[in-house]
Amino acid sequence: MPQATDSRSNQMMLGPDKKLGLIRDTSIQPFAPKEETIEIPFPTGVTNAVIKVELTYQPRPGNIYPIHKVVRNVSLDQTK
Amino acid sequence: MPDKALIMLRRRSIDLRWAVIFSIIFFLFFDGVTARCDSTEKVSTLNELITLFDSSSCKECHEKIYEQWEKSHHARPLMGLDDEIFMTKYLKNGVLAVKPGVKGTKKNFPCFKCHLPQFKYATDEVAAEIADAILRDDKASVRQLTISCMVCHNEKAVVHGRPAKNVVYGNRDLPEDTGHVVKKSPLLKNSLMCGQCHGLGPNLEFETPIQCATLYGSYLHAYIPSGGTQTCQECHMKDGNHYMPPNFNNREELSERLRQSLPMEVQTLTYIFEPKEGDSRPMVVVKTKITSKAGHRIPDG
Repeated sequence: MPQATDSRSNQMMLGPDKKLGLIRDTSIQPFAPKEETIEIPFPTGVTNAVIKVELTYQPRPGNIYPIHKVVRNVSLDQTK
Repeated sequence: MPDKALIMLRRRSIDLRWAVIFSIIFFLFFDGVTARCDSTEKVSTLNELITLFDSSSCKECHEKIYEQWEKSHHARPLMGLDDEIFMTKYLKNGVLAVKPGVKGTKKNFPCFKCHLPQFKYATDEVAAEIADAILRDDKASVRQLTISCMVCHNEKAVVHGRPAKNVVYGNRDLPEDTGHVVKKSPLLKNSLMCGQCHGLGPNLEFETPIQCATLYGSYLHAYIPSGGTQTCQECHMKDGNHYMPPNFNNREELSERLRQSLPMEVQTLTYIFEPKEGDSRPMVVVKTKITSKAGHRIPDG
């Protein structure tokens, strides 16, 4: 998301009556794919896991628009 | 000087004088017409503001487009998510708040630069009425303030100079017998048409500066330089559809639109990482890649 201050400090501001300018922008940009790599260690003794990846849009806290949901069953046992 | 020459000279002086007089009259008349076409007196009541840009008569001939518009956010620019009046909290708290015992003025509404462009024709009396309606949660009144047909097809349709009064701007010139004067404005198919309101960043011209949408800025400075070639209208008004998605009140539809705009790939890898002898670390590596097909950042605001 675009993150704005009021241009008087480095404190991020919320609301159009406070924001002026941008300090950081983590939004998904045109023609600029966003890639992330996440390493999740298996707990001791666990060899199987269900990975759920969800992408949502949340314009307000708690106001969630689901976009993508991907579920993968993964296992350390390559025979599975 | 011979008499004949004197008469000719006198006649020429009289002719010249009348020419000057007529020129002055013509100039005053013409300039007056231009001035009347160019200026609109300000209105002093909320009802007058609503009437000034009332476009309900457009429905008679443009029913399909009108019904598309009625479902769009342009038909409810002051009603935020879930049909709440978005200005309420700003009028109650913060730098735009209406102080107790004091009437609202135009200074409380810099947001109307984009959320209600016709507000420029309102006086402080109208601002006071609107503030009062908002603070009373009078949705019935607030809902009547829309970005109606004549806001885009007149007020915002011309940026080189000013739009003429009582002219509907469209994609071509039409004869006057169609019911109203229609003139072509090439701006209507240009992204700047939308960019006038859909944001470049800070609005510094106000006593209380504001910043809301930066979408057009993202379009100009991220999408275009990266090779983007489409206009706002080509994505958001396909075939002239005035529904102009997204519609934040239609949750499934918005989710689907985002799904199409932001395809996502997921890859997983399970293995045992062993950086040194005996230090085994089983893990799963999840790689995600989100691509954007939009002409601007997502999200924005």
